[in-house]
Amino acid sequence: MSFSDLLFAFTEWLRTTPLVETALSISEHPLSLLIASHFWAIPIIQTLHILALTAAFGSVLMINLRILGLTGNSRTFAQTVKRFRPWTWWALLVLVITGIGMIIGEPIRELINPIFWIKMGLIVVLILLSLWYQAALSRYTVEPGTALRFGAGARLGAVGLILLWCVIMFAGRWIAYAPV
Amino acid sequence: MNLGQLWEAIQASSLGIYIAESAWAFPTIESVHVIAIVTVVGTVAVMDLRLLGLTARDYPVTVMSRDTLTWTWLSFVLAAITGLLLFASKATNYMANPYFLAKMAMLILAGLNMAVFHLITWRTVREWDTAAIMPTGAKIAGALSLFFWVLVIFFGRTIGFTLGIYE
Repeated sequence: MSFSDLLFAFTEWLRTTPLVETALSISEHPLSLLIASHFWAIPIIQTLHILALTAAFGSVLMINLRILGLTGNSRTFAQTVKRFRPWTWWALLVLVITGIGMIIGEPIRELINPIFWIKMGLIVVLILLSLWYQAALSRYTVEPGTALRFGAGARLGAVGLILLWCVIMFAGRWIAYAPV
Repeated sequence: MNLGQLWEAIQASSLGIYIAESAWAFPTIESVHVIAIVTVVGTVAVMDLRLLGLTARDYPVTVMSRDTLTWTWLSFVLAAITGLLLFASKATNYMANPYFLAKMAMLILAGLNMAVFHLITWRTVREWDTAAIMPTGAKIAGALSLFFWVLVIFFGRTIGFTLGIYE
C-alpha cells in the first residue's frame, strides 16, 4: 500500500465521521459565506498566515542556530532567548488565529483532508516538544554572560525542532494537493 | 528568438514538462520554496526591526547583520532555485500573470533597497552601530525592506489563485 493509498483511505474514513456534518455547518455560517464571497479573503488570510510563519520560524531559527553555534555567538544564550522567544509564541498565536480563519473560510478543504490532520498532529507534537525542550534548556541559562557550550542532546533537540517546523510547513503547502 | 518564444521553449523543455506533469514535483518544489522564502523574510525582518530600532536595541547593528545575512543568502539561493523550477513548469502563464510580474518587481526593489543601504548608509555604521536611535537612512531601509518583502509574499500567494486566469 503506497503512501497516497494510505491518504485516500484516511480521507475515506474522514468522510464517515461527524466531521462532514461539522464542515458543512461551518460552511453555512455567515462568516464562512462572507469569506467565500470575497475573492481576496483567502489569499489575504493565507498571506497573514505566512507572515506569522516568517516571525515564528525566523525566531525559532535564531534560537536553535544559536544552540548549534551557527549564529549569534557573540551574544549570550539568555540574550538570544530574551530577544526571540516571545516572538515564537506570539507568532504561533497569530498562526492559530489565521489558521482558524482558513478553516472557517474553506471548512471542507481543511477538515476532510488527511494532510490537514497530519499537520495538526505534528503541531501538537511540536508544541509539546518545544515546551519540554524549553524547560530542559532553562538549566543551561542559570549563569548569563558565561561562555556555554551545548551538549549533544541539546544540539539534537535544536536540529529536531528546526526539521519539525520544516515538515509542518511542507504539510501545510500539501494541504492544497491532498488526494481527496 | 523573442522573449515569448523563450518562455515557450523553457516550458516545453523536458524539465519544464516533467515538473508540470509529475504528481509530486510541483507541490514538493513549491513546499521547499515556501520554507526558503519564510526563512529569507524571517531573517530579513529580524534585521529590519533592528534598523527601525523596534527590537534588540542592545544588539549592535553590525553583529545583527552578520548573524542574519548568511542565513538570508543561503535561503535566498534555495528560494531562487526552487522558484526557477516552478517557473519552468508554466513559464508563459507566469509571464502573463500580473501578480507574478509584481512579485518580481518587488524582488528587484527589495534588492535595490538592500544595495543602496549596504553601499551608502552602511559606510557610517561605526557611528551608529550601538546607538539607541538609528539614522533616518537606516530606518527608511528597514521600513522599505519590510514593505517590499511583505508584498513579495502577498503577490506570491496571489499567483496561486490567478495563474489560470491570464493567458
